[in-house]
Amino acid sequence: MVPFRRKVAFRWLFQKSIWNWFFLSLFLIFVRFSKGSFLLDTFSFVSRPFWPGTAQRDWIMSGINLEQKIRLDLLEKDNRRLRNLLDLKVSSDKSLISAAVISRRPRDFWQQLELNKGSNHGISSGDAVLGPGGLLGFVETTTPITSRVRLLTAVGTNIGVWIKDKEIHAVLKGVGTHRTQLNFLEKNPDALPGDVVSTSPASTLFPPNLPVGVIQIVNNEHLPSPYAFVQLIASPAAIDWVQIRKVR
Amino acid sequence: MRRLNKKSLYQCLAFLVPLLTFFSPSWISLVGVGPRWAELWLLPWALEEGPFSGAFSGFLLGLILDSMNLGTTTNIPALIFLGYWWGRLGKADKFGDKFFVLGFLAWLGAFASGLSIWVQEIFLVNGSYMPLFNIWAFQTVLAGSIMTGIIAPILCSNIIRFFFTGKS
Repeated sequence: MVPFRRKVAFRWLFQKSIWNWFFLSLFLIFVRFSKGSFLLDTFSFVSRPFWPGTAQRDWIMSGINLEQKIRLDLLEKDNRRLRNLLDLKVSSDKSLISAAVISRRPRDFWQQLELNKGSNHGISSGDAVLGPGGLLGFVETTTPITSRVRLLTAVGTNIGVWIKDKEIHAVLKGVGTHRTQLNFLEKNPDALPGDVVSTSPASTLFPPNLPVGVIQIVNNEHLPSPYAFVQLIASPAAIDWVQIRKVR
Repeated sequence: MRRLNKKSLYQCLAFLVPLLTFFSPSWISLVGVGPRWAELWLLPWALEEGPFSGAFSGFLLGLILDSMNLGTTTNIPALIFLGYWWGRLGKADKFGDKFFVLGFLAWLGAFASGLSIWVQEIFLVNGSYMPLFNIWAFQTVLAGSIMTGIIAPILCSNIIRFFFTGKS
């Protein structure tokens, strides 16, 4: 029995399967660092037959009507205030892009939506995403034909809001549950359950006065400043269509 | 040969993991949290293929899942650990007919990976960790692991029977 003799060093380098797996993992590392753009495009292509149809249009229209009423009320008051100030520039062009929700995970660790329109349709990251009734979140990343939305309820989302009627400014913070937490900036806000919260005119992220939610519980005893819990008007768990508003 | 073909077919089925995670069908979910499909794919694979193959596929699945999520938390360490551990267990015994053991393993695995994400969110990502001790995170972990543990006995035993038995 002649002992086996090595003639070539690094023989494993010549195995085809090793190189196949190496290139597969290189490809997946690329996918991971591009934050899944390839995967998301494939998913969008595969799930195209299942995108929500136009049957929800009536339902959406009723939601939009409600939203328009609230917005009209807010805009009138805003106008009156601006006439007094005359130096705040309100700029929001009316171009709204409608998109269908192709994947929603509103109650996992990552609370996000995937939409069926992307940078080809003019969406860029940071745009405000509106559901029927109010603000849902903002666009986090885009691919040419899809975009990913971070919901307001996701942990780590902070936006500046105010209560229009009482001019109370606050920070709306996602805490993972389906209600968001409103941290007031002052010691004694006279906010009450039922007050409507909308985006702040001082916010650099969003256009002013998009309706966000309704205050449900106020905790005035909390230190250093009181907080409240806000029920969002638009419910991310049951939404098939959203509108995207360009922020500039 | 037939068994090899089935094995490569099962490798291709790993592509269902991101698709099912994207779909997240609402009729298999508890309080809005679906099962963890990556663990459901990985369990039969690691049990049959051994620790190193299991850990490597856990790494690849983790790369895929991380690319699908917001934020910077990662599934990779938990999935590598689970692939290795399940591979060790699978070398010692056959699990094709042990429904309750399969369910329990899947439950433990999903719980561990959910817990790892929770811990990362608390200590690495968020910084101020008080709101994360709220009950919702534990609820998410528990709901995901319960769904995984319910589905695993049916799914994984059939996968093992269909894909990993036969002439080799």
